[in-house]
Amino acid sequence: MAWLVVRLAISVSLFYTASAVFEDQVGKFDWRQQFIGKVRFALFDTHSQASKKLLVATDKNVFASLNSRTGDLFWRHVDKTGPEGHIDALLMYGQDAVVVAGNGRLLRSWETTVGGLKWETVLDTGSFQAAALVGVQDFVKYVAVLKKSAISLHDLSSGSQIWVENLPDSDTVQYQTIYSGGNGLVFVFGVVPNSHIVIVEYKIEDGEIMNKKSVEAAWMSSLESSCTVISSGILLCVDQITQSLYTLLLQSAEQTEMRQIHLQTLDLEVASGFQPVLTSTQPNPAQPPLSEFFLQLSPDHHILLQLKDGLIVPLRDFNPSYLAAFATSGERTVAAVMSPKNDTACSINLFSADTGRRHLDTTIIYHMDPNGGKPNRLYVHAFLKKDDSVGYRVMVQTEDLTLTFLQQPGRVVWMREEALADVVTMEMIDLPFTGTQAELEGEFGKKADGLLPMVLKRLSSQFILLQAWLAHLWKLFYDARKPRSSVKNEVNIDTLSRDEFNLQKMMVMVTASGKLFGIDSKSGTILWKQYLENIEPNSVFKLIVQRTTAHFPHPPQCTLLIKNKDTGLGNLYVFNPIFGKKSQISVPALPRPVLQTLLLPVIDQDYAKVLLLIDDQYKVTTFPSTKNILQQLQDTASSIFFYLVDSSQGKLSGFRLRKDLSTELIWEVVIPTEVQKIVAVKGKRANEHVHSQGRVMGDRSVLYKYLNPNLLAVITESTDTHHERSFVGIFLIDGVTGRIVHEAVQRKAKGPVHFVHSENWVVYVYWNSKFRRNEFSVLELFEGAELYNSTVFSSLDRPHPPQVLQQSYIFPAPISTLEATLTEKGITSRHLLVGLPSGNILSLPKMFLDPRRPEVVSEQSREENLIPYAPEMPIRDEWFINYNQTVSRVRGIHTAPSGLESTCLVVAYGLDIYQTRVFPSKQFDVLKDDYDYVLISSVLFGLFFATMISKRLAEVKLLNRAWR
Amino acid sequence: MTAPGGGALATRGGATVRRMKWSLELSLGNSSRSRGDRQSKDGDVMYPVGYSDKPVPDTSVQEADRNLVEKRCWDVALGPLKQIPMNLFIMYMSGNTISIFPIMMVCMMAWRPIQALMSMSATFKLLESSSQQWLQGLVYLIGNLLGSALAVYKCQSMGLLPTHSSDWLAFIEPPQRLEIMGGGMVM
Repeated sequence: MAWLVVRLAISVSLFYTASAVFEDQVGKFDWRQQFIGKVRFALFDTHSQASKKLLVATDKNVFASLNSRTGDLFWRHVDKTGPEGHIDALLMYGQDAVVVAGNGRLLRSWETTVGGLKWETVLDTGSFQAAALVGVQDFVKYVAVLKKSAISLHDLSSGSQIWVENLPDSDTVQYQTIYSGGNGLVFVFGVVPNSHIVIVEYKIEDGEIMNKKSVEAAWMSSLESSCTVISSGILLCVDQITQSLYTLLLQSAEQTEMRQIHLQTLDLEVASGFQPVLTSTQPNPAQPPLSEFFLQLSPDHHILLQLKDGLIVPLRDFNPSYLAAFATSGERTVAAVMSPKNDTACSINLFSADTGRRHLDTTIIYHMDPNGGKPNRLYVHAFLKKDDSVGYRVMVQTEDLTLTFLQQPGRVVWMREEALADVVTMEMIDLPFTGTQAELEGEFGKKADGLLPMVLKRLSSQFILLQAWLAHLWKLFYDARKPRSSVKNEVNIDTLSRDEFNLQKMMVMVTASGKLFGIDSKSGTILWKQYLENIEPNSVFKLIVQRTTAHFPHPPQCTLLIKNKDTGLGNLYVFNPIFGKKSQISVPALPRPVLQTLLLPVIDQDYAKVLLLIDDQYKVTTFPSTKNILQQLQDTASSIFFYLVDSSQGKLSGFRLRKDLSTELIWEVVIPTEVQKIVAVKGKRANEHVHSQGRVMGDRSVLYKYLNPNLLAVITESTDTHHERSFVGIFLIDGVTGRIVHEAVQRKAKGPVHFVHSENWVVYVYWNSKFRRNEFSVLELFEGAELYNSTVFSSLDRPHPPQVLQQSYIFPAPISTLEATLTEKGITSRHLLVGLPSGNILSLPKMFLDPRRPEVVSEQSREENLIPYAPEMPIRDEWFINYNQTVSRVRGIHTAPSGLESTCLVVAYGLDIYQTRVFPSKQFDVLKDDYDYVLISSVLFGLFFATMISKRLAEVKLLNRAWR
Repeated sequence: MTAPGGGALATRGGATVRRMKWSLELSLGNSSRSRGDRQSKDGDVMYPVGYSDKPVPDTSVQEADRNLVEKRCWDVALGPLKQIPMNLFIMYMSGNTISIFPIMMVCMMAWRPIQALMSMSATFKLLESSSQQWLQGLVYLIGNLLGSALAVYKCQSMGLLPTHSSDWLAFIEPPQRLEIMGGGMVM
């Protein structure tokens, strides 16, 4: 019968390999969130009063338009990653947004309402310095782009190049900024550090050099950070060392020296070690800038100054103040300044730029998130109200990349968590049971201490149950009095509880900026967030789940190891993954660089798994390190092994733990770095279950799988990158003994290699440089027709090498990432989830990647339901699990089992986050969504009543017959 | 055989009466009788006591009857054996594919001998009157056993019997791992 079941299951799975969703299932159990990254440029569309557009360009090379009322994306353009797509400048005039991208390689103009490209021009090579809109007679017609050695002027409406001129002496002078005041001239400023400034004037019409002068400025090292142009053509510079401001009239022939104004004369002083910052504003590119400007003297001190008749007059001193920004609406320019109000809030006020007077009733209170970072950028959108006063909204960006959009008097209109555009690692944690379930769980989970304590425990838990029930009743009563519309079914941290099938989980996401998020997997709501300050930008994170929710009175516990790449030192951050609170547990100090961690299945008396941290002297630190743990470790030390892979030395080494928590080297494999380098190594996932220990052959015998839990797949790439000689190597190494179980070399192949190692197989993808295509290769390991030892597995006792089967296939698309589905018991067939650069996620049945696929179909292979070998791997549109919800720049896919055997939870992250469920063998354990309950139950009831009635009728008839 | 005189003998319908071979009704004219009685009442008037208008069957056991019983018992005993060729034919016709009809056939083929074996004692009672009761019982048993063997063979050829190692694959527990191992690239 088992045979029959297996055959039925296989034939069913053959018929239903498609995993597409139906139209009515869209958005039912999946969601996508789109992000943009850290904002570098943000411009509000001010040309019309009702405009809701906010244009942003980010460090992720994304250029997007946000709806300023809701924070949603109108449109988004994702450029290439890396310097090729880097957005250098963003300028906006009217309906057009001009973007310089790729270090001055491309000049593009975008239509801002729908995000269509108007024109694109390829610029000459040369590193980009600055770009500016150039106006003539109150009309902005051109855009000027300054490169290291040339300046070019382009028409704003067509992108055609008007002229391009080489800059004089560009090998000695560093040209850095550009200015145009609408008077038919373009000024280019260059600097020879610690010597002089060079100013070149170009005529707009034909690019003729009108004037060129150099001015002594021995104190100056960089123009860009310390100079700006104010008023009608006055160059203003600030220097920290001489504590002075310098001015220079651009269009005067007689002034050959910068005029120095000591800050002391203004009663000002720059904080030591702080590079002062000048901020001016030019509301219209066709007109000269205003004569007012901000001078930032220290991180929390701004001052608004005005240049009047050659004199600098302070208008208003803002001390303390974090951020200041100008904004213009119509003819009026205002300045918004953010000042601290108390420990948790800041106030933003509006001041008129020309007088420095405060506008009445313009305060916005900005409440700082206690778990977030400090604000570091302020973008102001000013508009004229009906009564001709100036209203404004602000967007605040914080260190933890939160964008908050506020309006008066401090209402948060929307919020975006842009840190999520760069998720590094994540875990999915089971939600806790509801109070009732948890109590029962707790009662049986605790250790029994005798009869009386058990009775007391029972009574207390019953009492808690009663309390919970009463509270529930009270809540029902309370809610019933409220109008129906106000009772919302929102997910929040208090109502969080596990659902029937454990489909809803907590996604703990670690982002590169050091912000942690707890996201509800069902809705995508952010339930908690925690910003870890002082995280170096290139830190390495490793997230470890030490205790799940299964041990009720003890809260779940996650540990995040943060390792600074430069110093090598790491520290541990222990938190509760459900509530995001930092745990009070004392964390071991890690004085030496941590090389690796190892989570043991050994648990302490509080049910926390033990984490071993291996330092650079191969000594082990345990966390938690109670007496109980040390005792347990002493007993099991001889069976604890760990391996380290040093890619730079091409060395794999295996260690065994000693009783005194030191280690001994037991094996070492050296892969010479001159020939090939180790690029990746993967073991098997710890939470993976394999239900079937073998495969059924056509003649009904069994081919047993080689399920070595200690097996490592090591991928190497050749150092020689020539397409004829390059190769990709794969080594299967036993992590306990260091024995090389199998090795394979793929000649004329190149990385990047993506691979999955699971059960008894390894699937890897590489680029075939001979045929110029992507290829999949699968390795499967079998023990043969007999199991060597069916009760225990020990790597130290494996006399027979496994049989290895391999097959390769052509995959007709490039690949971004690869992962395999995972289910609770491992009965469901496996699929591979392939993230494609197009943003689609392909669910590829593992059945297609089976080295036993025959070239010639035989009766036996048909009996086994093996698909005949075909070199081309199909991609079917219905295999895309995310239909049109593409995930930009997908970087990783996380799979987690749910309580249902048929269902696997999938989270794809990259620039976007997409969560869904997949059913590799269809939903064999749940009724379908469109199951006709009404029909079935009405038929059932109908039949039931029909039976009752006919029974009664039959009785009457029998009785009548008896009377006859 | 003549009925004894001195009473009205009547053969009547009705469950209570059928149990007796005959009865004498002494209380004449009892009006609380059924319709049939009333009809016979007319007969009572017409015929003398002990007269029956139907011929009384001859129930004496004869030699020919005994042979008949024997034959009948052999029929019962050989019944299962006779079905075997028929079953073989059905088996051949239904083939070895697993679908609803062959499965139903196999179930029937397997169930019938089992049912017969379960009701063995009832069959023995049936054969009680025969002189060759034990031999017949044995033949009946063998016939049924053959029938069920045939069903088992059919199951075997259809692949329904868990005789291969693959049939027990689902029950193999994953082996316990003796070593704990972990690690990775140097962070």
